[in-house]
Amino acid sequence: MAINYQNKKICFHKDLGKDWHREFEDLIIKKDERAIELDCGECKLNCYDIDYIKTLCIDKNIEIISLVSQNIKTIISASSLGLNTTLRLNKNINKNTAELAYSYKDIHNDKSTKFHKGTLRAGEVLETNNDLLVVGDVNPGAKVIAGGNIMIWGRLLGIAHAGSKGNTSASITALQLRPVQLRIAKKVARGPKEKPEEGFTEEALIEDDIIVIKPARTTK
Amino acid sequence: MTSDTRVILICSGKGGVGKTTLTANLGISLARKGSPTAVLDADFGLRNLDLLLGLENRIVYTAQEVLEETCRLDQALVKHKQEPNLSLLPAGNPRMLDWLKPEDMKKIVGMLSEQFQYVLIDCPAGVEDGFRNAVAASKEAIIVTNPEVSAVRDADRVIGLLNTNDIKPVQLVLNRVRPKMMESQEMLSIDDVTDILALPLLGLVLEDEQVIVSTNRGEPLTLIGSQSPAARCYSNIAGRLQGEEIPLIDPSQEGNGLGDKFRRLMQTKIF
Repeated sequence: MAINYQNKKICFHKDLGKDWHREFEDLIIKKDERAIELDCGECKLNCYDIDYIKTLCIDKNIEIISLVSQNIKTIISASSLGLNTTLRLNKNINKNTAELAYSYKDIHNDKSTKFHKGTLRAGEVLETNNDLLVVGDVNPGAKVIAGGNIMIWGRLLGIAHAGSKGNTSASITALQLRPVQLRIAKKVARGPKEKPEEGFTEEALIEDDIIVIKPARTTK
Repeated sequence: MTSDTRVILICSGKGGVGKTTLTANLGISLARKGSPTAVLDADFGLRNLDLLLGLENRIVYTAQEVLEETCRLDQALVKHKQEPNLSLLPAGNPRMLDWLKPEDMKKIVGMLSEQFQYVLIDCPAGVEDGFRNAVAASKEAIIVTNPEVSAVRDADRVIGLLNTNDIKPVQLVLNRVRPKMMESQEMLSIDDVTDILALPLLGLVLEDEQVIVSTNRGEPLTLIGSQSPAARCYSNIAGRLQGEEIPLIDPSQEGNGLGDKFRRLMQTKIF
């Protein structure tokens, strides 16, 4: 048996035969649980395999709670199909897989907003792939770059680049928006010459293909 | 005296804003108030602290010889004649830039700390090796800037670097303030500068022609007991540095008092 049922989990064993699809179907039909977990061990399953499993479970009205695997390819296939996945690291794991596992983890878990407290002074550059929140001023000569939105709880007097990876819906918000230059995605704009009125939070965004500054919206 | 020696870096980023002048005058003022003070010229490439203090012709050994251990520290120190509490440790030749390491600078400052209460380091302009060496040896800093956009920008950059090097506290001296131009808003105002730099203001120094005269003579204004505006500013700064509570001068009130007018009349040397 290449597939069996243990500890409330469906476990796939190392040497899956060619006819494992059949085996899996037999197993799943017998189960009357509404939710299952999958432990794929070291099996390498591609997107077609996972999709097959998923479709079968949906047909039988069974929810897949999560998928555990030691194989990074399986994890990537599964998560690309929207399953909850956990990578279990083997003890005698080889180095390459470990590195891959970490880089994968970094990409997928690091969606958090980057937070910086303190004034950014001339010459300093703060860069992130995600949203950016600065509590403090961005002085002339300093630069902030974010893949997502930029929010500055303070004055923006330097250069800000939101949506640096091409996200045109990114915006830049600051308590006082008086930048040298604004960039959103690939658009560039010079900052306004006149001093803005104090006490109004402003937001820069792309509208009709140009960067405009507006009073900040409370909802998005 | 080692532990409570105050090692103060005087820097600006931009050149020509008055680092050396401030170092010289502050050194004299502190010495006059009775604190043993050493001024260290860290600007090896373009040294001129000795010129300002009028000590050029008395230099025999420099920091270079001290580091090479071809002379003792007290042989290299040049004691000021009129102000014996003040000593200068001159910079060596410009080639020192090639081999001087932050550790060497720390060693020199460590030696000076044993004898003096204040060690003022005159930092070179720029943020390259010379600056890094000087920063490595300092504990606190005074930023000198002029009310000009470029000087403020450079000062901002330097403050950022000082913060990453854990130099605390960093205080600000705004140099070459022209009250009339500030009033007519042709010059950055004090608020404009402190707004961007966000540092405690240690003092203002008014623009004063007497500074040029004293520089050329090699007699710092504070030494000759001048009552010129800049001289008063310098000694106020020295006082504040020692913890005295001296109110900041109000530039808009400068030069309008009867005393000021009389003093100006005296300086014209009609009498």
